[in-house]
Amino acid sequence: MGAANPAAEALIFLRRRICSPKFVFSPFSDSPHSNFSKLKFIISSSVTEACNNSVVLLGPRGCGKMAVVDLVLEDLLKEYPDMISVIKLDGLLHSDDNCALKEIARQLCAEHELLFSKMASFDDNSQFMIAMLKECGLAHKTVIFVLDEFDLFAQGKQRLLYSLLDAMQSVASQAVVVGMSCRLDADQLLEKRVRSRFSHRKLLFLPPSKEDLHRLLKHVLLLPTDSSIPSDYVAEFNEKLVNILAEERFNQIIDTLSNCDSTFNHLLRFSAVSHIYLETGFLSFQNFKAALSSIQRQPKLESLKDCSVLELYILVCMRRLEVKEQDSYNFNSVMKEYKSIHDSFQTSDYYAWNICLRAFEHLLERQLFSFVDHRGHSQPIEFRPAKLLISYHELYQGLKSYRSCPAILQKLIDREG
Amino acid sequence: MPSIPAKGSPVIPTAVGRSGGIRSTGDLTTRKRSPGSNSTAEDGPITSTPPPKRKSPRLCINGNPSGPANGIEKESGDKLAKPSELLVKKLPDNFVAKPKWNPRDMEHLSAAKEALHVSSVPSMVVCREDERRRIFEFCKQCIEQEKAGSLYVCGCPGTGKSLSMERVNQSLLDWAKEAGIQTPDVLAINCTSLTDTSEIFSKILHESQPRRKSNSSPSPLQCLQGLYSRKQQQINMKMTLVIADELDYLITKDKAVLHDLFMITTLPFSKCILIGIANAIDLADRFLPRLQSLNCLPTVVTFRAYSKEQIFMIIQQRLMALPYIVFQPQALELCARKVAAASGDMRKALFICRSAIEMLEAELRESMSSLDWSSAEIGYSTEQGTAAHELTKQEIDIVRVDHMAVALSKTYRSQVVETIQSLPQHQQIILCSAVKLFRKGKKDTTLGELGRSYLDLCKSTLIPPVGTLELSSMCRVLGDQGLLKLGQSREDKLRRVTLNVDEADIAFALQGIRVFRNCLK
Repeated sequence: MGAANPAAEALIFLRRRICSPKFVFSPFSDSPHSNFSKLKFIISSSVTEACNNSVVLLGPRGCGKMAVVDLVLEDLLKEYPDMISVIKLDGLLHSDDNCALKEIARQLCAEHELLFSKMASFDDNSQFMIAMLKECGLAHKTVIFVLDEFDLFAQGKQRLLYSLLDAMQSVASQAVVVGMSCRLDADQLLEKRVRSRFSHRKLLFLPPSKEDLHRLLKHVLLLPTDSSIPSDYVAEFNEKLVNILAEERFNQIIDTLSNCDSTFNHLLRFSAVSHIYLETGFLSFQNFKAALSSIQRQPKLESLKDCSVLELYILVCMRRLEVKEQDSYNFNSVMKEYKSIHDSFQTSDYYAWNICLRAFEHLLERQLFSFVDHRGHSQPIEFRPAKLLISYHELYQGLKSYRSCPAILQKLIDREG
Repeated sequence: MPSIPAKGSPVIPTAVGRSGGIRSTGDLTTRKRSPGSNSTAEDGPITSTPPPKRKSPRLCINGNPSGPANGIEKESGDKLAKPSELLVKKLPDNFVAKPKWNPRDMEHLSAAKEALHVSSVPSMVVCREDERRRIFEFCKQCIEQEKAGSLYVCGCPGTGKSLSMERVNQSLLDWAKEAGIQTPDVLAINCTSLTDTSEIFSKILHESQPRRKSNSSPSPLQCLQGLYSRKQQQINMKMTLVIADELDYLITKDKAVLHDLFMITTLPFSKCILIGIANAIDLADRFLPRLQSLNCLPTVVTFRAYSKEQIFMIIQQRLMALPYIVFQPQALELCARKVAAASGDMRKALFICRSAIEMLEAELRESMSSLDWSSAEIGYSTEQGTAAHELTKQEIDIVRVDHMAVALSKTYRSQVVETIQSLPQHQQIILCSAVKLFRKGKKDTTLGELGRSYLDLCKSTLIPPVGTLELSSMCRVLGDQGLLKLGQSREDKLRRVTLNVDEADIAFALQGIRVFRNCLK
């Protein structure tokens, strides 16, 4: 017993929350305008009215399309236990029509406890599927096809899509096709026959706005008062958390985070990382700051920090050669440039040729530059053309944050603006 | 005999003959069908969806294109259902105002939606009488003269080709029965279901000679050719009517299958009438050149895209089956106009109408929830509550033009602008810099150039740029979404990049942000 235990418990509790999409998306599913309720309405009205429908969910990756579909299906399976059967396909795994039909047949067999034969041909499988659809239609069961990576099904002749959507044109079957894709123009990729049979219902999933992000963080990180964790710990934890969330610099962190990637996934990863260490037993601002920097890693800058001054010189020379429009330069031209710098500025860092070659090889190992072609192994290293792998901006930042960078280097870099 | 639900919803017969007029439900079964008429008015009742436990005897035309046999059985089955509960006499619209549609009633709502569903086929197919007559005449002629022939039906998707073919099929069989001629064997295939394109020959052979063993030599095609080249031993061999849907799936690299299929009909003793359905107008000319030299190109029947008036008429005809008014006429006109201008696709028009009904439903739900909340808050008595309900009821019980406009915009508008507006800041900067780069003339560039342009933009707007790794992953995300198009290359910097969306869309989407507005000026 002690402060460690509630903290560890709280940690486990929070992690469990972050990993369950149901919890994460539940506050967003209450409003009638949310995608959750729209999708639920579409599918449930198809089930109750026994008609066919198709809908496609569009949105960037990590915006919760699969999570919302899972939530909706879970709810519907509770409401209508025997009237729904779900078939899930993925465009990456089942891109071939044969493969996809086989998978459909297998899932139908598994659902209805029939024996599935791996030897069944394409014809057999497709007839089986049509027959099952008819049977399910007669038995008032709706078959829901969930097609992930919908745009990958739209490659080639689109036979699977055509046969699914065509089967839905007849009165005998009751099916709903839910497609998910990250391409905005997924329905433009459909052939005109398939597009004509598709109902053009699109649900757009957008990354959350800034207010929603804040709401989500609060929702995820605030501990509930009725859990097994001692309530005075919970109260203190929540109070500290609310204070942090209200700070301006916290807003800045969130802004920086969402400037590059503002999807739900990203934010969840951030919040997962932010409480890896609860040393004091509570979340502090430092946790969030450390999380931000570990998410937005700059590997090249980190390697620059470990370079020696000579290596920095070599990099700066290479940069200058690039600026002078020399498309290819090798170690010899770099040495010439190095010598000219030494001559014009009388630096104290002038080393011998073989030491510079050693530094050159170190840089190669660290992948800060590479050779242009990978075939010239017979040539000695000093003649092979090379090119830089880091950008000007990264080099500039690296020099600025270097612990004891010679002023001359910064001046050399600065000149190019 | 299908049973009719007795609760609530009125049951209306769908037989709207060419002459409207008052028609009582009792004598529908005895409508005489004259030979050559191609409107098979179904006399069965249309029922709205019953409570979910029971399977509704839906609109009685079978939507199944394979085989007429099912159709005949179902039709006769439905004709017998005439319980005495059918109450409403069918009056022409302009004499009597129809009862009000109550969208709050689930049955009314589902009846309306079902009448507009693509899979519910109406009793009479309007606006295609001309084309149907031509096909019917052609088939009739072939059967009467016991001669083979080929016909090619073409048209855009959603123009009623398969639907009309089913009707012609039906009426052909009826005519043959009444005229005492041997009914032809009908084979309706959808060519997408064939794994191997030459399977179609074995299917045709199987149809005409079901007892033949299926061995591989000689091939089905050769068998057919042999069969049709010799004079028949049996007199009065049946004609075979082959309806091949989605004919362009048979087009292989050497175009042999399609060609051989049509050539079968040119053989001297052929008994095969071939009707091919596809989208391309010039399929016959492009893929069957040799037939032209033999002077037996198939007859072409083109199904033109529906015009505004036709779309309006078709939707009206479907809605006439319901006893209430669901749409404002201006709303239907708007829908017909927009769809006719875009593609003339009937399925789309039906989808949009259903979507408009759903808009109305959503509006209702919102107003109901707000009304409940407000009346609960103020604590009205139930009487006043229902009075308020009545008031709103009058306003929202018909699909108006604004519902239709929203449904149309949702279908036709692309989501590009919304998506761009909700992108994170740096991805917007990338798009903006791409626009600026492409304004200078070139239409595609490399990722390295784009990165440079991005850095310039960041510098000019004083936003700290991200590193190259982040930049290339953001470009990849944009490529996945379909906003940029990325090529492949061994090296990341050399991948080609082009814009996949219109520049104007990006400029429009970003105009709200001052920074981008200034850049893109």
